[in-house]
Formats: sequence, structure tokens, C-alpha cells
Amino acid sequence: MAAYPGSHNPFADDDDEEETTGSRSKGGFNFNDEPPENRLTEAERRQQHLQQEVMRTAQSAVDSSNRSLGLIYESEKVGTETAEELMRQGEVLKRSERMVDNMEQDLRTSQRHINSIKSVWGGVVNYFKAKPDPKPPQREQPVGYQANSKLQNALTESKQQEDRYQDSHPNLRKLDTSGFGASAASNDNPSNQNGHPQNRHLKAAHQKLDCNLDDMSLGLSRLKNLGLGLQSEIDDQDVALDSLLNKVDNMDGRIGSTNRQLKKL
Amino acid sequence: MDSSGKEKEATALMAEAEKKVKSSQSFFGSLFGGSSKLEEACDMYARAANMFKMAKNWSAAGNAFSQAALLHLQMQSKHDAATNFIDAGNAFKKADPQEAINCLNRAIEIYTDMGRFTIAAKHHITIAEVYETDLVDIDKAIAHYEQAADYYKGEESTSSANKCLLKVAIYAAQLEQYPKAIEIYEQVGTNAMDSTLLKYSAKDYFFKAALCHFCVDMLNAKLALQKYEDMFPAFSDSRECKLLKKLLDAFEEQNVDAFTDAVKEYDTISRLDQWLTTMLLRIKKTIQEDESDLR
Repeated sequence: MAAYPGSHNPFADDDDEEETTGSRSKGGFNFNDEPPENRLTEAERRQQHLQQEVMRTAQSAVDSSNRSLGLIYESEKVGTETAEELMRQGEVLKRSERMVDNMEQDLRTSQRHINSIKSVWGGVVNYFKAKPDPKPPQREQPVGYQANSKLQNALTESKQQEDRYQDSHPNLRKLDTSGFGASAASNDNPSNQNGHPQNRHLKAAHQKLDCNLDDMSLGLSRLKNLGLGLQSEIDDQDVALDSLLNKVDNMDGRIGSTNRQLKKL
Repeated sequence: MDSSGKEKEATALMAEAEKKVKSSQSFFGSLFGGSSKLEEACDMYARAANMFKMAKNWSAAGNAFSQAALLHLQMQSKHDAATNFIDAGNAFKKADPQEAINCLNRAIEIYTDMGRFTIAAKHHITIAEVYETDLVDIDKAIAHYEQAADYYKGEESTSSANKCLLKVAIYAAQLEQYPKAIEIYEQVGTNAMDSTLLKYSAKDYFFKAALCHFCVDMLNAKLALQKYEDMFPAFSDSRECKLLKKLLDAFEEQNVDAFTDAVKEYDTISRLDQWLTTMLLRIKKTIQEDESDLR
């Protein structure tokens, strides 16, 4: 029964709730039958609603921050896997370059042999040409493939940022709890009894939220550094790729000419 | 229809090639330039194999490639032989995994003979993958991964070596060969700590190492955790470390529920993968066993 037409309820889906609680209190009318208390409970119920709403929004905020945290960790995982793959690729590039250098050496020696085979004159010329000094087979092991150390600077920078984050946080936290302290003190009827546990839950929810936000900021800074490191590594590999490309192109030309010479022989 | 046409062509080519080989072996054949005949036969085998591949007749293609490879071996061109064995292996992978492994093994022999360890390592990995998926023989897969890692280390490619070692560790832990897994994870973790890019994955390795310690004995896990925190301060901030501490506490109190709760909480943020779930379940079982023992 629409017992409280005056109660302008913005939360439409709570209409049913209100009606059922109304009928229940009507039934309870037999036990504690004081009309004034019914009217009081209207304001109290309103407050309960609002507190429930607040709880709900706080909870959804915590949930969404959990999800964001999860996403950040996932990105970090993807980033680390990419980083490992990049390192491996860098090693492979270096090795390929070394091999191409070796190939060049070998081609030069074979060119000399071809010259001497082609003609006696060529052989004599060879004798006077500077010997392509047989460099000791370039087995210079890449001493621990070092990724870019630009990262170190980025690290120290982000550490400073972190401190600034920390400063802003405690202030926020103080605001929240003080605000709720005020609302808790304002009413002293039985609704207060319901109010307290909600306040504790609310405090807990807000603390969890703050924790998550801290973790998120840490995670984001780590992601940023990871990204920077990846970027510098990719830049280096870009340069290496270009030089490798050049060398291989040269090699291609020389192999072609060597083949032609061999065919003519 | 086109494929069957190709197959007929291919079989015809194979027959021709065989004839050539036989003829080159005869007295007159060897007199009149037997080696060029062999080369031609090799070519024909290769072309036949490619046609079989187009017709999707993988085992015939594999056969043709192996024949070509054997001929190359006769002609002492090891490199070509090895490449053809690899092609044969690839073709067989889709039809007969065992045969594929044989071909790949022969290719690896040739490569290691020539000193090309990197390529040999790469193919060890291929064989290991076949063992992982088609033939499901985890021991042999581990052996091949280890071999590949050794070759990579010999060639100073630590990242590739680490990749193989990690796979060895995963399977070793699944097979309850914990000391091996622990050693690998600690080694890779310590390596990763120093590198600017890899240090983000170091905490993951230490976490896995600590879990393996846990499966063996809780005290080990505690000491190990302490050690890792000293070595790598950033590890203490990570959620993995916090989870480990909670698990250790739950284990000490023999409290299965606390254990499950901690795991669930971790799971809500970062999904636990198959391997982690298996290890955690094993640890949980040991708690439950202890509990029932006490009762």
C-alpha cells in the first residue's frame, strides 16, 4: 500500500522495497504501534537507502580498481615476454652480422683463388696485391648482450615521481574518513546502529581502494620504464638491422659476380 | 583433380630419378660423368617432392626428400643433404611424426659434424616440440630441450638458451624433478636480475623457484624466499612474494582454508595458469595429508 506518497523516492527500483518494508512495519504495527515512530523511520529509511547507495558505489569502485590492477599486471606480463623475445632477437641479429662478416672474408679469399685460376697474369698480380689479412675468425663472443642503459635514468626519474604520488595520497585518505566521521555523529537513533557497521565497511572499502590505487601507480611506473627500455632496445636493433641489410646486399652482389666468374672459367 | 595430376607427374619423376641413379651406378654410367647424373637425379627427386607437397601427399614428399638427401650425401655435399633432410622432416611432421624425428636427427648429425651448432639447436627444439605435441613423450622432449640449451650456451646465445631451459624446468617440475627445476629457475632469475629489460621477469622466476622449493619442503621455501628477497629487493614488493608469505603462514598453521583464500585472492587480479594451479594443488594436498595424519 502506498503508505508514504510524500516520500519522493528517486531510486525507482527501490519502490518495491519501500512498499514491502512499509507493509512489514504495518504488520509490526501490532507490536510497536507508534505512528510517530513510523514517520521517523521514513527519514531513517531514506538515510539507509543513501548509505546503501554509497556502499554500492564504493564497492563498484573497488571492483573496477581490482580489474584495472589486473589489467596492469597483464600488460606487464606481455611487456616482459616481449622484452625477452627482443633480447633473443638482438642476439640473433648480432650473430647474423658476425656470420655475414665471416662470409665476406671467405668470399675475398675465394676471389683471390679465382683470380689465380683465371690466368697466370692474375696469379702474379695476386702475389703483389696486399694479402687480405686473415683476421682471426671473428669469434668475439658478444660479452653479455647489454640492452640500453638509458633505462637507469628513467628509473631514477620515476622514483622521484613515486614520492610525489605518496604525498598526495595520505591527504585524500584523511578527507574521506573525516567526512564519514561527521555523518556518523549526526544521527543518534537506532539507525546509527545500522550506520556504524556500514561505516566500517565503507572505511574498509576505501582503504582497499587506496591500496589498489597505490599498486596501480607502482605498476604504471613499472610499465612506463619497461616501455622506455623496449623502445631504446628496438631503436638499437633498428640500427643493427639497417647495417645488416647493407652488408647482405653487398654480399649478394659479390656472390653473383663470383658465380658468373666461376661459370666463365 | 589438379592434385592427382600433380601426383602422377611426381611419381613419374621419382621413377625417372631412380632410373638415373641406377644407370649412374652401372659401369658405363660412371664412365660418362656419373656425378652429373646423380645431381640431375637429386634435382628430380626434389621436384617430385615439391609436387607431392602440392598434392598434400606428405609421406611421399618426405620420402622423396630423404632420397634426395641420401644422394647428396653420396656426392659429399653435406650442406644440401642436411637441408633436404630438414625438408623431409617438415613434410613427415604432418604425416608420420616418428619418421620426421628420424630425418631431423640425421640432419642434426650432419650439422653438428660441420660445427653449425645454432642450426642444430634450432632443430633440437623442433624435435622436442614434436615430442611435446604429437608423440607426447615428455622425457625425450626434456632431453632435446636440454641439448638445444647446451648448444645455444656454447654459441653464447644466452637468451635462446634460457628459453629452452625454462621449458625444461616447466616439464621437470611437472614430473616432480624439483631440484632440476629449482636450479634452472634460480639461474635464469639471477641472470635476469642484472639486465635492464629482463629484470621485470625476474620476480616471476623467483616465484616459480620458491614454489618448487615449497613442493619439496616448507622450510626450504622459507629459506629460499629469504635468500631471494636479499638478492633482489624489488621482489619483496611484488604480489607474488606476498602470496608466498601468506601461503607459508597458512601451511605453518595447517590451515587449508586460508591457503585457498590467499590463492583465490591472487587469482582475482592475475589469472593463474595451468602450471601454477598444478603446483599449488600439490602443495595443498600435502597440507591436507598432514591434517589427516594428525587426526
